[in-house]
Amino acid sequence: MITLRYIVRRVAYMLLTIYIAATLDFLLPRMVPGNPALIILITKYAGEFNPNQLKIIEGELNLRGTLWQQYVGYLGSIIHGNLGPSYYYYPESVTQIIITRLPWTLFLLGTAMIISVVIGVIIGSYSGWKRGYSDSFLQAFSIGLTSLPYFWLALIFQLVFAVMLVINGQHLFPVAQAYSINVHQGFNLRFIESVLHHAALPLITLIITTFPGFALLMRNTVVTVLDEDYLVLAKAKGLSINTIRKRYVNKNAMLPVSTSIALAFASIVGGAFLVEEVFSYPGIGYTLFTAVTVSDYPLIEGIFLVITLTVILANFAVDLIYAYLDPRVVLK
Amino acid sequence: MTSRDEDINSILKSSSQINRFKDFLKRLIHHRKGLAGIIIIASLVLIAIIGIFFAPYNPFSTNAAAFQPPSKSHILGTDYLGEDVLSWFLIGTGTSLMVGFSIAVLSAIIGVLVGVIAGYFGGQVDNVLMRVVDILLVIPGFPLLVILSAFLPPTLETTIFVLSILSWPFLSRVIRAQTLSLKQRQYILASKLSGLSGFKIISRDIIPNLIPIIFINAIFLAVGGVVAQAGLAFFGLGDLRSVNWGTMLYWFEAEDGIVFNAWWWLLPPGLGIVAFGIGANFLGNAVYELSQPLRSGKQ
Repeated sequence: MITLRYIVRRVAYMLLTIYIAATLDFLLPRMVPGNPALIILITKYAGEFNPNQLKIIEGELNLRGTLWQQYVGYLGSIIHGNLGPSYYYYPESVTQIIITRLPWTLFLLGTAMIISVVIGVIIGSYSGWKRGYSDSFLQAFSIGLTSLPYFWLALIFQLVFAVMLVINGQHLFPVAQAYSINVHQGFNLRFIESVLHHAALPLITLIITTFPGFALLMRNTVVTVLDEDYLVLAKAKGLSINTIRKRYVNKNAMLPVSTSIALAFASIVGGAFLVEEVFSYPGIGYTLFTAVTVSDYPLIEGIFLVITLTVILANFAVDLIYAYLDPRVVLK
Repeated sequence: MTSRDEDINSILKSSSQINRFKDFLKRLIHHRKGLAGIIIIASLVLIAIIGIFFAPYNPFSTNAAAFQPPSKSHILGTDYLGEDVLSWFLIGTGTSLMVGFSIAVLSAIIGVLVGVIAGYFGGQVDNVLMRVVDILLVIPGFPLLVILSAFLPPTLETTIFVLSILSWPFLSRVIRAQTLSLKQRQYILASKLSGLSGFKIISRDIIPNLIPIIFINAIFLAVGGVVAQAGLAFFGLGDLRSVNWGTMLYWFEAEDGIVFNAWWWLLPPGLGIVAFGIGANFLGNAVYELSQPLRSGKQ
């Protein structure tokens, strides 16, 4: 059950978090010496500019007036979805850049998360039910995998499957990018095929490092659920093993898994960013990497704000789904 | 109580603590996972020590040809500048471990203090601290690390500092929960009634009882620190001329090690991180199992 009070409180809390992230975005660049507007003009126009241009760019970057006026101006433009101009891609705006790149990241994150949860639930349920060898195998496997750095695994996959292995004179998977330059972007079969082919290695990397956490959690809750009294009743009623497993054990054991998705989101984002860097995948992770390399501060800040918002919204959605799935949960 | 009695008491107390610690170490060595964890981590420390004294080359010397596969003179081959990969790995292990341990110690101190204070004093203090923790846990960690590192000076110290101030929230929650349950015990009540101040109770009665939990969490903080520092370096942040596992991977990526099939350059730093993670997991699990009174001795 979800009360209105809960939603109001939760939304207020999300706004507070975003406000803090935005304030951090505002304060950090002002702690660094140098005039950012001059940096744009010097890098873009090689120092050949007139004072008016400087004023215009200072305005765009909210650098005019007292610190307080700048702060109010900055928060105002964020509310309007304006994240300022990018240094590197000037005059393109940070908002424009993020809008074109974010879908690629969401595609990677969403797909990897869904597949990881499904695999984790299936393997965890099996291992908790059977125990024995499959159980110890899962434990050893997940300990080994959770200490694997995402980006190192991505590099290994890239080296083996996109560079070393050649079958019929062709590499198994592409080394980089999100789709081949030979296909037409749009809703056609060749484009979709190319996108999936390019996404395969990044997705496999993310899934392999994410699903063991879910599997282990699922396994542990299955073991706990097996001790519950209602299972004794179900057995006493003479229900088939399959029915007990599907309707009594798995259904109940999946609930804690669904809450852990929210926490997993915050950590998989970092993994996705690094994997995007390895495969030059055109999402916001790769964009952030480029922005770091060329010191494009507004773009770095904008990406931080947008990804924070995305993660918070995803968590909120997961909580609502959880309350809907489990009638015992009261969010108030 | 006379001062002499106090001396005797303190001697008795410390000797019993040393004995308990020795006893615990003995049980840890006889524990299968504990022993495995100790051996793995000790080997990495040994590699780091070898790196300090016996690295075959100066890691920045570029006298050899670039991208040489492993050979007799360069056991792990050379990188894009002809630098010796083995020397980078040996020395880098020391730097990475040092970074991990520093982050573990610093963030454990913050996490324990915040958790104990929130749990023991409760009320408004608890409320404020836990709201801060909530917000830090919700904001995606890696982007926050990136933005802080991008604006601060690119040194190894900055990376340690940034990772330390962002790694403690989870530990503080664990410690807070433990403190809340300890607070209800009889002996804490006795200390309170005898008029001991809050900080004395925390330092004498509460923190010593949390040491196994703090230790386990610190181990995982060290692993998290090593991986996060490597990730940041890989993203081009921090001191990129520092020799460590992260910068090895950064230069591999930046200088197209992939194109040259330079597996000898890619494998060592990653395997180092994985070995550290597995060793820490074994050790952490062993300490956990041994510190559970009911299940102690389970192999």
